[in-house]
Amino acid sequence: MTNAMVLLVEDEREIRRFVRHALEQEGLRVLEAETRREGLLEAGRCQPALVILDLGLPDGDGAKFVEDFRTWSSAPVLVLSARSGEYDKIGVLDAGADDYLTKPFSIGELLARVRALLRRGRGRPDAEAVRVSFGEVEVDFSVRQVTRGGEAVRLTPLEYRLLAVLLANAGKVMTHRQLLREVWGQAGGDNSHYLRIYVGHLRHKLEDDPAQPRHFLTETGVGYRFHL
Amino acid sequence: MVVYKHTVYPDRRNESFGRVFLYAFFMEAVQQFSGAATPRLPGVAMLSSILLSEDPLSPPWRRYGLAVLGCGAVAAALWPFSDQRDLPNTVMCFLLAVVAVAVWAGRGPAVLASVLSVALFDFLFVPPRFSFEVSHAPHVFTFVVMLTVSLIVGQLTAGLRTQARDAARRERVALGLYGLARELAGAVAVGQVDECVGRFLWAQWRAPCLLVLPAADGVLVPVGGGFAGAMPALDDDPLRQAYAGSEPLTAVSGAGSGPVHYLPLVGATRNRGVLVLALDEGEDLGPLLAALAALVSTAVERLHFVEVAQAAQLEAVSERLRSSILSALSHDVRTPLTALYGLADSLLLGPPPLPAGAQDIARALRDQALRLSGMVGKLLDMARLRTGPVSLRKEWQPVEEVVGASLKLLGSALEGHPVRVTGLAHLPLLEFDAVLIERVFCNLFENAAKYSPPGAPIILAATLGPALVELRVMSGGSGFPPDRLQEVFGLFERGQAETAVFGMGIGLAICRAIVEAHGGSIRAFNLPEGGACVAFSLPLGNPPLIESEALLLEGEGE
Repeated sequence: MTNAMVLLVEDEREIRRFVRHALEQEGLRVLEAETRREGLLEAGRCQPALVILDLGLPDGDGAKFVEDFRTWSSAPVLVLSARSGEYDKIGVLDAGADDYLTKPFSIGELLARVRALLRRGRGRPDAEAVRVSFGEVEVDFSVRQVTRGGEAVRLTPLEYRLLAVLLANAGKVMTHRQLLREVWGQAGGDNSHYLRIYVGHLRHKLEDDPAQPRHFLTETGVGYRFHL
Repeated sequence: MVVYKHTVYPDRRNESFGRVFLYAFFMEAVQQFSGAATPRLPGVAMLSSILLSEDPLSPPWRRYGLAVLGCGAVAAALWPFSDQRDLPNTVMCFLLAVVAVAVWAGRGPAVLASVLSVALFDFLFVPPRFSFEVSHAPHVFTFVVMLTVSLIVGQLTAGLRTQARDAARRERVALGLYGLARELAGAVAVGQVDECVGRFLWAQWRAPCLLVLPAADGVLVPVGGGFAGAMPALDDDPLRQAYAGSEPLTAVSGAGSGPVHYLPLVGATRNRGVLVLALDEGEDLGPLLAALAALVSTAVERLHFVEVAQAAQLEAVSERLRSSILSALSHDVRTPLTALYGLADSLLLGPPPLPAGAQDIARALRDQALRLSGMVGKLLDMARLRTGPVSLRKEWQPVEEVVGASLKLLGSALEGHPVRVTGLAHLPLLEFDAVLIERVFCNLFENAAKYSPPGAPIILAATLGPALVELRVMSGGSGFPPDRLQEVFGLFERGQAETAVFGMGIGLAICRAIVEAHGGSIRAFNLPEGGACVAFSLPLGNPPLIESEALLLEGEGE
């Protein structure tokens, strides 16, 4: 992870200061940009391994930045947003951002997200593994088998497909729309209550306490995040 | 449909009996002609209609007088030549007189003139003179032909004249209606509509009118009233009946006044009001009044929709303004708080590590910044909920999910308070705004942790009722002051007035605003075994049908 280049697009100087400080402590190189336009130019110039993007930029829309950036790069994008902007978050995540942090955030949270995203950026080992385990649960994709504490868990085909999609995107926030598209296909459309019901099924089958899940996390109003 | 239709003869005791009799006879005839009264002998009806139906504006005695005068004048003019015995030309002159009477006085006087002409001709000009005796038999034939011809010519002439006058009047009314339609199309307020209609009715028939529209509370209220003039007092009963139905009503409100018409203004979706007019007109104005009512209701409806569109636009603009002010405020306050929190946090990160005292200070700085940020968030939430209609993004979803999310969000704030959840797994889907209901749970859990002794469990229990789901958050501790269970939901109210516990009494007010926006209710009480409980309910509604998975997978060949 060392010496990876992080592009920080944020208009507030004091926030840039402590974020840069934290990232440099982590051994990363940091490039700063104040506006969306400048951010895109810098990104094109230095090909960052990760972009941290503030949603409240003076020259506009974060979703537009991500859209432009995604036309030529698949490097992960972490969004910094205010709490009230759930619907802005959905827009920028649907446009291709990977994760978001709600202001104010602690440095611990920031670094945890950055590490997770950089890991994913480097070849996505989780997505390619044949076996994945979390908690007491083990998933073997080669034989389509899920066990919990050594005992086989019966999943319906849709539950299994949803689990596979969540595992493949572990650590990343998946919006309702993205999950519906991946699991149900285009026909998923408006049936977001199906998604919620199936996530509930997975929690009941695979979590210790479904009301306080540790792996199938809800990002309220936005979507879900699978935490390994 | 009840139709009010009574005719009351006007009180005219101070006039001569003859005129009253004539007037009554005339009124009967009018009714007879318009087909409203019970039919009487057909001959009488026809006779009275022929004699009396026309031209109600000029009095009958004058018209019949004209007939008598006309015939007398012709007789007088021909008298000097009576010795010449030029009977054919005399007949011609009498026929001319009948035509003239028919043109000027109408059908009835023409009949009188015809009879009178034959009588005068016989009496004064045909020998033996000054007698109705007939000496020469063919003269009888002459009289019969003369009477027949003069009757036919008189009736045809009078009919033509009536038709021409009717056509002229219809044209005048039609032109008036065109003008009215044009004026109504340009009206920008209901007062103007009233004025246009009033002017039209006054110009056409000298009829007073009143436009009655429902106010915001549904009560019918007159608009404008500049042309109400001699309108008798409004009758509530027919007014309401007309407004409720789609047929026009006619009522007579009292002695000394004519019939009052109540025309409902039937709109596309509902009735828009009632047009009331006092019109004492014999002829059948039904189609015309229907056209008038349609014009007025179109105008009133158009104005109503213009008003609705303007209100919606205004609301949208003010909503946009409110939301942009709030998000600007939120951004401007949160940015320095984020910097403060992050900078304090990075002090702790080092290197080099801070001395122990400085570390405590940095940690305290960070915690206070976080606390301040939470307070700002709540104030902004409250501002959003209080300053306008709450816009909900409702979706069908399990409650369990939101509970999990809020517990995760609170994280360390609940430390030392084990949370137990019961009854959530088997609840049906509910329709709510997840972001807002998450705030409710966060506020309730946060309060429960704050006001209960360390280590006391927090219990969330769900009960399924017939029409709603009740969710209770219970905690230990001393509970709410029993005398202030209602007030705790007020803004800036705190259960425990002056305690060291941090907070400002806004959390429960937010909860109430959110729950009530969802159509639920919230209450606070103390548990018999000690401790506080806040219970809120959400309506069950009709959850969407969940198809079984087999159906969803159809044709996929798993």
